[in-house]
Amino acid sequence: MSIIRTENLGKVYKGGTVALDGLEFEVHPGEVFGFLGPNGAGKSTTIQLLLNFIRPTTGTAFLFDEPMTCTESRQRLGYLPESVNLQTYYTGKRLLEFHAGLVGIEPGERAQRAMELLGRVGLLEAAGKSVSQYSKGMLQRLGLAQALINDPELLILDEPTSNLDPVGRRDFREILLEHKARGKTVFICSHILSEVESVCDRVAILKRGVLHRVGTMEELSGARGFRIVARDLPSAVIDVLSASSAQLTLHGKQATIVCEDQAVRDEVELVLREGAVEIERVEAETQSLEEIFFGAIDRKVES
Amino acid sequence: MTKLLLIAVDTIRALLHQRLLVALMLVALGLTVIFSVLATQSKDFILEAAERAAELEGTEMDEQQLEEARRGMDAVGSFFLAGLYWFTALGASLVALYICCTAVAKDIRGGTIPIILAKPVSRTQFLLGRYCGAISVLLAYSALIAVALAAFTYANQLDMNMAARYAPWLMFCQSLMVGSVGLLLSLLIHPLIAAIVALFATSWFFSPPNPLYFILPSYDRFNVFSLIAEGRLITLQDVAILTLYAFDVTAIFLLLALWRFRSKEVL
Repeated sequence: MSIIRTENLGKVYKGGTVALDGLEFEVHPGEVFGFLGPNGAGKSTTIQLLLNFIRPTTGTAFLFDEPMTCTESRQRLGYLPESVNLQTYYTGKRLLEFHAGLVGIEPGERAQRAMELLGRVGLLEAAGKSVSQYSKGMLQRLGLAQALINDPELLILDEPTSNLDPVGRRDFREILLEHKARGKTVFICSHILSEVESVCDRVAILKRGVLHRVGTMEELSGARGFRIVARDLPSAVIDVLSASSAQLTLHGKQATIVCEDQAVRDEVELVLREGAVEIERVEAETQSLEEIFFGAIDRKVES
Repeated sequence: MTKLLLIAVDTIRALLHQRLLVALMLVALGLTVIFSVLATQSKDFILEAAERAAELEGTEMDEQQLEEARRGMDAVGSFFLAGLYWFTALGASLVALYICCTAVAKDIRGGTIPIILAKPVSRTQFLLGRYCGAISVLLAYSALIAVALAAFTYANQLDMNMAARYAPWLMFCQSLMVGSVGLLLSLLIHPLIAAIVALFATSWFFSPPNPLYFILPSYDRFNVFSLIAEGRLITLQDVAILTLYAFDVTAIFLLLALWRFRSKEVL
C-alpha cells in the first residue's frame, strides 16, 4: 500500500506554462517525505493536484490507493497550505470546532479536541481571541492545529514554517517528530533545507516540473561515490588505475582513488587485490542536502 | 447532511460579519420606514387638502364626496404600497445578488476554500451549504421586510389585497431565482460583473423569437407592483404555481452551478 502515488502526473497552465511534467513518485506509510525545489518548480502544483484543487493535464494521482478525486480519502489527511487563510470571524477555539465538525467529530467532543490542539500548538491563551487578531505566526500555528484535528494518517505541509520564529520552528519540528514517531506519514514542501534534512526519511527534488532525484538521504548523499585509500601501489597497478575511470591521486606513498559508483569501486578493489595491495580504508563520498539540492538544480553552493 | 449544515451555518456567520451586507440590509429597512412615513404623511396631506378645499368652497362634504375622497386615498395608499413592495423587492434582489455572488467566489478569492475542501467535504456539499446559508439569511431578511410592511399596512389602515399579502413570499421566490443565477455566473466571471449580469438576465428584455426569452427566468409575475397598480388579484393557486416555477428555475441554475463548480479549479 502506498500513501501517495503519482503516475505520469502533468499540468500545463493556460498560456502553455508547463508546471509539472510526467511526475512519478510514491510515498510509503510512516515516512517523512521531503519535497524540494526552487520557486516555480511545481511543488505547490503537485499538492494542489493531489488534493484535487486543480485538474491534471496528464496522468493521475492516488491517495491511500484511491483516486485523488475521492472525497472519503480526505478523512485520513490533514493539510496546511503555504498561505494560511482562515475564517477571521471565528475565535481560535470556534474555528477548530468548525473544522472538527467537518471531519466528523461528534459535537460533544469538538470543544475538547479543539482545546487539546490549541494547547499542543501553544495557543491555549488565545483560544477565545478572534482569529482576525492573530499574528502571522499564530495563524500558522492555528493552521497546523486544524490540519491535525482528525489525527491524520497523512499530513501534507506546504512551507509550514515560513511564518514561524525560531521557537515556533522548534515547536513545529517537535510536533512533526512526534507525529512521525506515532507511525504517521508526512509530506512536506519546504525551502528550509536544514529543516527537511533533520526530519525527512526520503527526499525528492523537483526542477521545472520534472523530478530530478528521489531517495533516502543516504542514497542521495552517497551517490557522489567512494574514496579508497591505499599505500605502496606497485607501478603496474598505478598504470591500470590511471587507465581506468577511477580518479587516482598520489601523495607520496599514499594513494587516494575516487570511484564515482559501486561498479567502479568493485573494479578498483579487484585491481588492488590482484596487485596484492592492502586497502587502508573506504569512505563514502557524502553530501549535505544543500549540496545535493544545488547539485540537482545546477547551482553552485555559496561558500 | 451534517457537513452541509455546518457550512450553511458558517455562511450565515460569515454573512453577518460582513459590514457591507448588514449596512445594505439596514439601509433597505431604514428606507422602508422612511417610505412608510412619507406615504402616511402624503395620505394625511390629501385628506387635509380635501377638507380645506371643502371649507374654502363653504360647503360640507356629503357622503358621496367622502366616499370619493376615501377611494382616492385608498388609491394613493395602494400606489404607495405597490411602490414600497417594488422598492423592497429590488432591495431583496440586490441583497440576494450580493450574498449569492460572493458565497463561493469570496472563498476562492480569499483563499479559505483549500482548507475546507482538503477536509472530507464534497464540492456539492460545499456549494449547497453556501447556498442554503445565503438563502437562510435572505429568508430572515424577507421575514423582516414582511413584518415592516405588515406594520405599515396596519398602521395606515390600508386594504391589504391578495397580491400584497403574498408579496413578501413572492419577493423571496424572486430572490431565490436571482441568487441562483448570480451564483452560477459568479463561478464563470468576476462576482461584480456576475451580479450586474444576473440582475438583467431576465426574459423581460427579450421577445418570443429570441431563444433567451425561453431560457432566462421570468420575474414579471413576481412583480407585485404591477399586480397592485393594475388592481389584479392573485389567488393561492397562482402563488403555488409561481413558487413551483421559482423552485424549478432555482434547481436548474443550481444544478448548472454544481456542474461548473465540480470541474472548477479553485486556486
